[in-house]
Amino acid sequence: MTRQETTIGVLALQGAFIEHIQHLELAVNSSAYDSIDFDFIEVRTETELSRCDGLIIPGGESTSISLIAQRTNLLEPLMRFVKDEKPIWGTCAGLIFLSKQIINGKPGQAILGGMDIQVERNAFGRQLDSFKVDLDFSGFTSNKVDAFPTIFIRAPVISKILAHKGQQERDVINSRNDYINNSKVEVLYKLENGLIVAVRQGNKLGTSFHPELSHDCRFHKWFIDEFVLKSQSTV
Amino acid sequence: MSQFEIKAGLAQMLKGGVIMDVVTPEQAIIAEKAGACAVMALERIPADMRASNQVCRMSDPQMIKGIMEAVSIPVMAKCRIGHFVEAQILEALEVDYIDESEVLTPADKILHIKKDEFKVPFVCGARNLGEALRRVGEGAAMLRTKGEAGTGDISEAVSHIALIKKQIDKALAMESDEEVEAYAKELNVSLDLLKQLIANKGKFPVVNFAAGGVATPSDAALCMQLGCDGVFVGSGIFKSKNPEKLAKAIVNAVTNYKDPKKILEYSTDLGELMFGVSVDSLKEREKVSTRGW
Repeated sequence: MTRQETTIGVLALQGAFIEHIQHLELAVNSSAYDSIDFDFIEVRTETELSRCDGLIIPGGESTSISLIAQRTNLLEPLMRFVKDEKPIWGTCAGLIFLSKQIINGKPGQAILGGMDIQVERNAFGRQLDSFKVDLDFSGFTSNKVDAFPTIFIRAPVISKILAHKGQQERDVINSRNDYINNSKVEVLYKLENGLIVAVRQGNKLGTSFHPELSHDCRFHKWFIDEFVLKSQSTV
Repeated sequence: MSQFEIKAGLAQMLKGGVIMDVVTPEQAIIAEKAGACAVMALERIPADMRASNQVCRMSDPQMIKGIMEAVSIPVMAKCRIGHFVEAQILEALEVDYIDESEVLTPADKILHIKKDEFKVPFVCGARNLGEALRRVGEGAAMLRTKGEAGTGDISEAVSHIALIKKQIDKALAMESDEEVEAYAKELNVSLDLLKQLIANKGKFPVVNFAAGGVATPSDAALCMQLGCDGVFVGSGIFKSKNPEKLAKAIVNAVTNYKDPKKILEYSTDLGELMFGVSVDSLKEREKVSTRGW
């Protein structure tokens, strides 16, 4: 039997990338993947990105991540990675970077345009408005992730699901990536106040919160199984 | 999960990033455009405070507010060591992080602020393991080396990083509980915290940044290679001739700190840098890193 090799990258320009790598390692150690060799790598260059079967964009400062990506010539390769239909998961700042349109962005803040969503930066306010809450994700996760501890830190929310065409608004930043995601946007989770904090569109996943700050690797396991391994098996 | 994880969590998001001292909204915008992951709002940068020889206090809230309105990245502000009312004011102002800083004139010569009583997170300086663990014990959600602020001389920050590492290695090598107990006494820290540090293989429960004397992209990369999680740059940027270019270069160098070819590119043609004050030329009482206990 040939062994399968799976490489998942974590964008390491700025932010909490080490935590994601640790969670990925925990997730594959905690269950049996007998025929797969996993490799989890920090991604700072085009060469590193080209090795990846899937990518996580971590939390951090979304302006920092975007500006550094542009300056280190990684923006175009990332946009191509999106277009190549590779699985990508963005958490917090990563969700902002992965979206097609943002509110409260800064001039020059380029975004990847992988999901047809509008994301509002710092939607809850400043650090004093950051919070934690246990949420039940068993409704959409195949491995029944319930009672999951989530932390929202100066978090964004998904403020709107976008139609493919014709939505030009003022005071927003649009991605210049011409990628069309042919899947439908699924709202995975809304808070009690109606704010959307988790969405999926095909093999792209976005969360406002930080599963990598919990001591629980089930969400990462779901990303590996449902997004990365499924994408690989259909190639 | 506790409130502490929300506080320490923001610091985790700042990792691999550069936090820049700014004194005006215009400087804050330059910092944000350069890719700073946060700014430290203050009235005077440490180099000027050092030169003034005056009592240095919390900045005017009006000035901090102007900076909070100008940028969308987190804004930190400094209060004096032990001055919990300045901290209360900064919390009421809703800054994102408070730096209980030795750069300002200490208000209490014995006690630091009880930081766990606040909802806003705190960062504190440390020059040895004892200071670091005492600050964590008081509720600091982020640490930084003290270095010697306002000098442009990186040597003090390097010594603090090295000393802390040496002291952690010493703790990790201990074989008996008695040794650990004695070391906790020697460092004047809680035994629980020291045991926790050893159980975590020497890793602090909070993020640890470099600060104090960072003036160039290579200074920043040096601190990263020595194991820091990110970098504070104080006077270095806005005391140079081309702040925009230098700010970007330092941000880039922190991301690519392991890549000498890239650091070479970022270090080239930066124009005139900050003047430097060698730490050795300072009298002991002129050092700010000796403040705090």
